[in-house]
Amino acid sequence: MDTAPKTSTLAACSQVFRLSLRRQFFTRQTIVMLVLLALAVLITYLWSLPKPWHPDTRTAAELARQIVLPLYMGFLLPVICLGYASAAIADERTGETLVYLLTTNIPRPLVYLSKYAAALLLTLGMTLGGLAALCLVPGKIGLEALGIFWTVTACATAAYVGLFLLFSAWVRRATFLALAYALMIETLTGNIPGIVKRITVSFYAKSWLYESGEPIDLAPGGVVLGLFDPVTAATAQWVLGLASVGFVALGMWIFSRKEYD
Amino acid sequence: MKTESRVTTALAEMRNVSKWFGPVMALNGVNLEIGSGITGLVGPNGAGKTTLLRLLTGQIKTSLGGIDVCGRDAWSARAKDHIGLCPFGDATWDELSGRKLMRVTAGMRGFTGAEARRRAESVLETVGMAKRADRPVRTYSKGMRQRIKLGQALVHDPDLLVLDEPLNGVDPVGCEELNDLFRTLAAQGKAVLVSSHILHEMDQLADRILFICRGKLLASGSLAEIRDMLDDHPLKVRISCGSPRCIAPQLLMLESVKSVSIEPPSDLLLEVQNPSRFYAEFGEFAAGNDAQVQRLKATDTSTEAVFDYLMERAARPE
Repeated sequence: MDTAPKTSTLAACSQVFRLSLRRQFFTRQTIVMLVLLALAVLITYLWSLPKPWHPDTRTAAELARQIVLPLYMGFLLPVICLGYASAAIADERTGETLVYLLTTNIPRPLVYLSKYAAALLLTLGMTLGGLAALCLVPGKIGLEALGIFWTVTACATAAYVGLFLLFSAWVRRATFLALAYALMIETLTGNIPGIVKRITVSFYAKSWLYESGEPIDLAPGGVVLGLFDPVTAATAQWVLGLASVGFVALGMWIFSRKEYD
Repeated sequence: MKTESRVTTALAEMRNVSKWFGPVMALNGVNLEIGSGITGLVGPNGAGKTTLLRLLTGQIKTSLGGIDVCGRDAWSARAKDHIGLCPFGDATWDELSGRKLMRVTAGMRGFTGAEARRRAESVLETVGMAKRADRPVRTYSKGMRQRIKLGQALVHDPDLLVLDEPLNGVDPVGCEELNDLFRTLAAQGKAVLVSSHILHEMDQLADRILFICRGKLLASGSLAEIRDMLDDHPLKVRISCGSPRCIAPQLLMLESVKSVSIEPPSDLLLEVQNPSRFYAEFGEFAAGNDAQVQRLKATDTSTEAVFDYLMERAARPE
């Protein structure tokens, strides 16, 4: 401890990133999510088996409409994002270890950014890995669906992680707030006709999917599509991208100013 | 109450700092300087000690006033280069081993590779945990956790070390070892701020003491200086001698002695108004008389006694 200190902020951020990644991976959340993904894979496998009342071969559109959209995009994706992102800072608060992050010489916005990067990487691994597992079970039709879904999944994950991490920086019990959001806003508001659902991440993800899924005829037809009233894929991409950046920027701002107890 | 002795080089400075949480005023117009050496921060529960430490380490912002650490705003990341904090709670990333935790802490301070490892090993040696550092921290006793937390605070060699109840849960031998470590760090020119509610810990440890109560700084300075300034509480001195009844009237003749009482068989209890003057007068008296003085001891110069007097003074109506 006698030499002049030669330090690097980048190295310090990298350490926060690695520590967060490690601590979040070895948690109960990971076990719960792996169990949920395994159940989803099992459901997909059972769905893909030939049945007496459905002797025809399954199509990619059926897989997307009956499994991936409702089960994965509608439930698993937000739950996985919620599980990791809402706990990223809130767990440090409840575990009383946040003090060590707040008293390092890393500027607070960079601490937040490191936490975001760790949560995003872990969540992307889980969401894209889960999607791949789900799509590979039924074989070739799954590959077609995977090609359509993976980019949307990645962008929606970035937006959800940004939003739920923002909750985590904002309130102590961020998981409850994130659950309430997922149930009230994403699920209920996201499924009612009109323009209110345009405040949800899932609306833009679906809009993008309906357009990029045209080769497999993914979008619902006629009245249903009219009621949903999707935006173009380009608009959806812009909104998801800007929302992700905006959520992260807002989270950095809150984290850099908030006095944590 | 502020004594004459000023901090030689202030590493941390609080200027008219107030902090309130909603309607609760946690700290009220505090001015203080912390320089090299050991500074004790004492006060009852709810006095504002933790708020003061959190402000000083840049965890919370002041409502009024300013705090500088090594010339930088305490809230800034640059100031935290100079601060090492050992927080009160036991919590740390306790799934890691002590060694890994120390390397991670060094890494979070921006040290990389071999330098992070060197610092981790050096600090583990310093806090006496080198041989026990491969176990997960969750298996450590409270005393071992205190040492590891202290190591985390020391790993980047800070100028200002802020320790919130650092001896809590440490065994007596460990306390002595850690106190020696604090003295060594102070001798190296570092500022060590130790918060404690166990007042007698401060008697031998602290060079200066900050007495705080109800969010206000009651007094700051060395214990002797603060004690001398308590005019309304004469210093109590116990003298053991061969013939107390003979010398009692003679002692009353000294100007600095306010009262003398005899405590059989061989003790005298004096109330002294001006301690430094008394010691000078008593030296001359003992040299010129056959007083057979065996022992002379001030009985109310401890941190605890001074704190009681300060609390009593603070509770008195203006």
